[in-house]
This record gives sequence, C-alpha cells and structure tokens, in this order.
Amino acid sequence: MTRQIAILSGKGGAGKTSITASIIKMMDSVVAVDADVNASNLPILLPYVSQSSSAYYGMDIAQVDHNQCTRCGLCLSTCQFDAISQDDDGKIFIDSDCEGCAACAFVCPVNAISMTDRKGGDWYVSTIDNGFLVHADLIPGEDNSGKLITKVRGEASTLAKANNIAYIVIDGPPGTSCQAISSITGVDLVLAVVEESLSGLSDYRRLAELIQKFSIPHVVLLNKAGFNAEVENKIVQAVEEFNGKIIARIPFDHKIPQALQHLQSLADMDGYREIIAKLLENMKISLKD
Amino acid sequence: MIISVVSGKGGAGKTTLAASIAQVFSAEFYDLDVDAPNAEYFLQPKFSQTTPVTQPVPVFAEDLCDGCGICTKECRFHALYKILKTVYLTETLCHGCGLCEKVCPQQAISYQQASVGNIRTGYSQKIDNMVHIGDLTIGSTRGTYLIGEMVKKIDRQKLSVIDGPPGNSCAAVAALKPADLVVLVVEPTPFGFHDMQQTEQIVQQMGKNYLIIANKAMGSESVDQFFQGKSKQTALTIPLDDRYHKANLRGEILSQKFSEIHQGLHTAVSRELEKL
Repeated sequence: MTRQIAILSGKGGAGKTSITASIIKMMDSVVAVDADVNASNLPILLPYVSQSSSAYYGMDIAQVDHNQCTRCGLCLSTCQFDAISQDDDGKIFIDSDCEGCAACAFVCPVNAISMTDRKGGDWYVSTIDNGFLVHADLIPGEDNSGKLITKVRGEASTLAKANNIAYIVIDGPPGTSCQAISSITGVDLVLAVVEESLSGLSDYRRLAELIQKFSIPHVVLLNKAGFNAEVENKIVQAVEEFNGKIIARIPFDHKIPQALQHLQSLADMDGYREIIAKLLENMKISLKD
Repeated sequence: MIISVVSGKGGAGKTTLAASIAQVFSAEFYDLDVDAPNAEYFLQPKFSQTTPVTQPVPVFAEDLCDGCGICTKECRFHALYKILKTVYLTETLCHGCGLCEKVCPQQAISYQQASVGNIRTGYSQKIDNMVHIGDLTIGSTRGTYLIGEMVKKIDRQKLSVIDGPPGNSCAAVAALKPADLVVLVVEPTPFGFHDMQQTEQIVQQMGKNYLIIANKAMGSESVDQFFQGKSKQTALTIPLDDRYHKANLRGEILSQKFSEIHQGLHTAVSRELEKL
C-alpha cells in the first residue's frame, strides 16, 4: 500500500523544499510531488528527466457573443466577483477575475454568454534517480491552484501504484489556505517544518489546527534553531499541545543557505545527512503506529 | 497611496520589510497574508476592534426543497451534494456566486451571511499608526474574498503599506491590485529568483510601478549575476546578517534598530513615491 507524507510549515521560507529534497534523495524509491504549484521549487533541487507535459484547465471563463448581446447589463448586476464591466457604449467585458460560476450565463436573457476553457497552467511527469517527480506551473496570477494540486497528486498515486512504489512525498505550499488543504487531504502523515521564530510558532499553530481538523497525525522538524531558547520552548509546548512530536532539530547554520546556492541539499552535506537519515527512519516509524 | 510588499517565495522578508517601511513613513498597515498573518509580532498593536467578515452562503428551506438536485448539478464548485432527498452544502467550497438560488425551481434557496474570518484593528506605537490584521477562519478557502474586503476599507488619501501573501496565485493578485507602488522582495537564492520572476511578470502585466529589494544576500555576487543585463535593477540590497536575524526573532522592527536599514529604505522608497 502506498503511504503519503506531506511536508508543510504554515510560514513560508521555513525550509520545506530543502528538507523535502533532502528526504527524497535519501529514499530507496519514491514519487515526489511539488504541490506548491505557484512557486514550484522542488525541481530546482532534484535533477530530473522530463517525460511528459500536459496542459491544465482550471475553472471555465465566461465569454460574451457580442452579436447576440443586447447590452441589457443583467449579467453585470448578477456577477458577485466584479468581473464584468461595461464601456461607455454599453459593450460588455469579462475580466480575469471571473471565477467561472456561470451565473451570468444562466441569467442572460438571450444566451449570449457561454462558458469556455481557460488554461491555468501545465503539469509534468519526470523521472528522478530513485523514482518519479510530478510538478506543475500555474500561470502566474491564475486561480484555482487547489484543483491543479489535486491533479498532480492523482497522477502521483497512479504512478506509485503502477510502479509499486511505497511512498509519495509531497512538498506543500506555505500558508493554511486552499492550497494547503488540497495538499493534505488523505495523506498518512504530515511533517511540519517549524522555523524557530514567533512567526514560525504562530503559523505552526494554525497549521496544527488545520491538520487536526483532518485527523492526520504529524511530526515536527525544528529548523533554524539555536538563537532563542524562549521561542524554542514555546514551540516545544505548542507541539505537545497539538499531540505532535519533534523528531529532528536543525540549527541555524550559514553553511546550509550557502550549499543551497550551489543546489546542494542537506543530503549532500556531512553531518546533516545523518540527521535526515534519522528523520526518515522516525517518519517511517510514525507511519507504522 | 498604497505600497504592496510581495515576494513570490515565502520567507524572503516581506513582513520584516513591510513593517520597516511602515515605520519609516509612519504608514497605516494592512496584513493581507490572511492565512498566516505575522505582522503583529513586529508592530505590537493594541487591538481595539474586531470586525467579523462574512460572505453570503446558501441556506435551504426544507419545506420548499423537493430534492430535485438541479442545484447540485449546476454548482461549478462542487459545493453542493445530495443524499437521498436532502441537499447539503460544503461551506468551504462555496464561492457565494448565487447560481444555486437562481436555478432552484422551488425558490427554496436563499442567502445568509457566514463567517470567513475577522479583521483585528489597533494602534501601533511603533509605527504611530493603525494596524489591520486579516485572520482567515482556519479551513476556509475564501482568503481572496477576505483580502478583497480588507482592500475596500483602505483610505487611498493616506499612505498605507500592505503585507501580501506569498505565492503567485489569486491571493497575491488581490493584494497587488490596489497598489500604487509594489515592493518586490527577493531572497537571492535559486528559489527566490525563480519565484520572484513569476511575481515580476504579474506586476508588469498589471502595469504597476515597482522596485526590487534583495534581502538576506550572502555577498553581492549572486545578486549581481542574476540582475546582469536586466532592465530593472535592485533598489537596495540587505545582507544576511545575524544581528538582523536576532533582532527579528525579538520582534524588533529592523528600521527602528538599524539606521542603515532606515536610511536605505527611506531613500529607495521615497525615490519611487516622488515619481508617482
């Protein structure tokens, strides 16, 4: 059976992607997923060979047939997203704020509005040394990344099943909003990467509350640690409160961002490789419990 | 006048620099990173008001609904489903578009307000101005709506600073839309450059005035290399410095503590504001 691990943090820049890449590099076989589709960075750290690329269509967008349109303006007052405007001559325009709900098409008395495909991005399947990578690029500014995340995760499950791969590892987006939700539904374990700072703590609490709602167990990696014992203590307490478990601690070390500049991950660094190996082992134990 | 601070990549220093810019210019502050709001740790406002933000969601009159299921088929967000003859709503998927109300042949659907989150407001002595923090209800997918509601409250006559969300999706666009000036924060790493380029693309498409600040730079080499030959150069480079990191962890505003940051931001931002 395939087990799914999602790596999230709440706060951006806590170290999700570098930790994810390090874990992936140390696994026997894996399907890696970059679910941060609007700032996709995992492929930068994982050497991959592209196998296929496919277009992604998000929600539809409304389109006006100006030959049919009587410029009555009913669509304008119906749209809840301020996505429809009218120029001085009364001509109707649909802008990119359209969420694709089709309410305007429904109310139009002359059926001048139709819903059409809207390309939201591309998604890719690639091979890596020890398995596969599925990632995507949302067109900057496009909506509905949640649906795209569901798409890449579905593809990852298919690949894992077809190739008998035991683990799917998901690099999640920052925050606790729709993209984060799409990244964690149905996973077996969340690894929360928590930066030792008040912001890191606050965002961890929001994340922990979210994953609690989905009844997913979680473990914690404390990152950039060693500057502020008081904050670290508060994080330790919060993790206990949410029934999490701190299974690794990585200090604030300039060598790490320097290595990242050269696209090296912790798995490539002496001293840290061992921490990641232990982390991986601990996660596998948590999955068994 | 509105300044939006964004980055693409998370952790580049948006909140740190947004707080500093607000301090330098004593500007009103809007934390629009509604699903991970952190500016309050730096600004330490005395909260005096909490305003709930609601969005309309459908409610079903059970006596009128005959369970035909037309609404569940028409909803494009899959927010409605039917078990036997009863229709249920998944509130977090609802966009409040109003279509179900219109398609219902029995007029059994009406709209009622449901919570999306809160706006907490208070005075911050550190910036000598008001601070507005958006808190999205955990589990809600309507962050963009909350951002939009907060933006509506901004008084354009005053100088305001927006701390935007990371990423390059709809939420980031919502925080960029009202901006007269965009401050693009880039962490000079392969990740940071990658994500910033996507944000820059959005900013350019929107026709916004913008300036770039490189933050947490380890030497100037990577910054110089990346910006070589580019039409837009950095207005300011801030090094990765343990002193800044420590001050940050204590919740201090960098511009208040370090005169070089105060001066650097003042010069870089004033230059652009004067052009507007």
